[in-house]
Amino acid sequence: MSGPMVAVQMTVNGEPVAVATVVERTLLDVLRDDLGLTGTKNGCGMGACGACNVLIDGVAHRACLSLAVTVAGRSVTTVEGLAEGGQPSVVQQAFLDAGAIQCGFCMPGMIVSATELLANNPRPSREEIRVGLSGNLCRCSGYVKVVEAVELAARRLPAR
Amino acid sequence: MHFHEPTSLDEAVALLASGGARCLAGGASLVPLMTAGAMRPEHLVSLRRIAGLDAITVDADGGVTIGAMATHARVAACDLLTGGNAAVREAAGQIAHPAIRTMGTMGGALAFAEPSADYPCAVMAADAAVVARGPLGRRTIPADAFFVGAMVTVLQPGEVVEALALPPARPGEAGAYLKFSRVDGDFATACIAVRLALADGAVTGARVAVGGCAPIPYRVPEAEMALVGAPLDPAAVERLGAAYAEAADPPSDFRGSAEFRRMILPGLIGRAVARAAARLTGDDR
Repeated sequence: MSGPMVAVQMTVNGEPVAVATVVERTLLDVLRDDLGLTGTKNGCGMGACGACNVLIDGVAHRACLSLAVTVAGRSVTTVEGLAEGGQPSVVQQAFLDAGAIQCGFCMPGMIVSATELLANNPRPSREEIRVGLSGNLCRCSGYVKVVEAVELAARRLPAR
Repeated sequence: MHFHEPTSLDEAVALLASGGARCLAGGASLVPLMTAGAMRPEHLVSLRRIAGLDAITVDADGGVTIGAMATHARVAACDLLTGGNAAVREAAGQIAHPAIRTMGTMGGALAFAEPSADYPCAVMAADAAVVARGPLGRRTIPADAFFVGAMVTVLQPGEVVEALALPPARPGEAGAYLKFSRVDGDFATACIAVRLALADGAVTGARVAVGGCAPIPYRVPEAEMALVGAPLDPAAVERLGAAYAEAADPPSDFRGSAEFRRMILPGLIGRAVARAAARLTGDDR
């Protein structure tokens, strides 16, 4: 990689950050390598697996498909940014309590997708949960408890 | 690599006129190709700051124009895409996964011209036209003439997709999109889009386009015409499916052999036509 560095300012997990990057680097590269936010996983690097899902302005995106330069001025939330006051978010805690986590690699993306799903649809049906998480692959193949975790989170979240 | 974020389409076209420039829409296809080292443009021209390029608007004649930067998620949720244009909305909702539909765009998907993608056959069945802008100005290309080969369109260097223009949703018309894929979110093994018109129980117009079974989406106009003037009966739909299987030029790849694709095509076409017809006769929605 070569070429001019581009200054990019964005908000990451509520904090303003400024990085300089070559154009071809993805948001995933910047989050993990420049900002040390390794919760966002590099699974396939081509948009297939969902392990790198982050929220950009509240909407789930693949960090591996987003060039960092295109995120300038926007607000990024990674799995690290979901905790509230140092405590796991309701969704994170539900994934723990439901036993949804096996090796854990896919969990940051799953939890980001589930967080977005529940923000838009606080009482999803089982089918809506499966569709909402359809872009998140788990190679332990443990989808049943993931769906149960989202149902548990939905029950615990205050009705809106 | 140099990054450009023009704020007008004219400016983007001027930037794209230089050799080694590529335009970046949502990034869902171009970025992984760059990551894999398969593409390395010298200039990357992002279209995302061009105001209005993601608009979805109703034209004076009742047609619908979808801006090139409209994401799949927005097209999938667009309630302007009714009747005969429903296949485009339904195709958008089946592209990849939710977190990719928030990024990928209409213009990007059309220009990419992936043979197994969802949009190409849908826009062809819908009788849409691609509005392109380039150094020589604007031109409108019927979807039937837009796709040239796998990953190849009639777009010339420096030309970009500006919008997709859909005809009005006319009474008595319905559309449907049917996708067969190995798993949810994959590219299609085969996909069918239909725009069907019925009057007094008889077919008055039919456009059926198939994706995933040839380098480009295709129609068989003689087979479509054979449906017109009579009610849709099972034998007629069977002949339609047989004609499309005959015309297919399917790949043999990890999604299925050419023989497999030819085998499943007639049944899928029958289901897609039946789905569109059911919307007109009230048997469905």
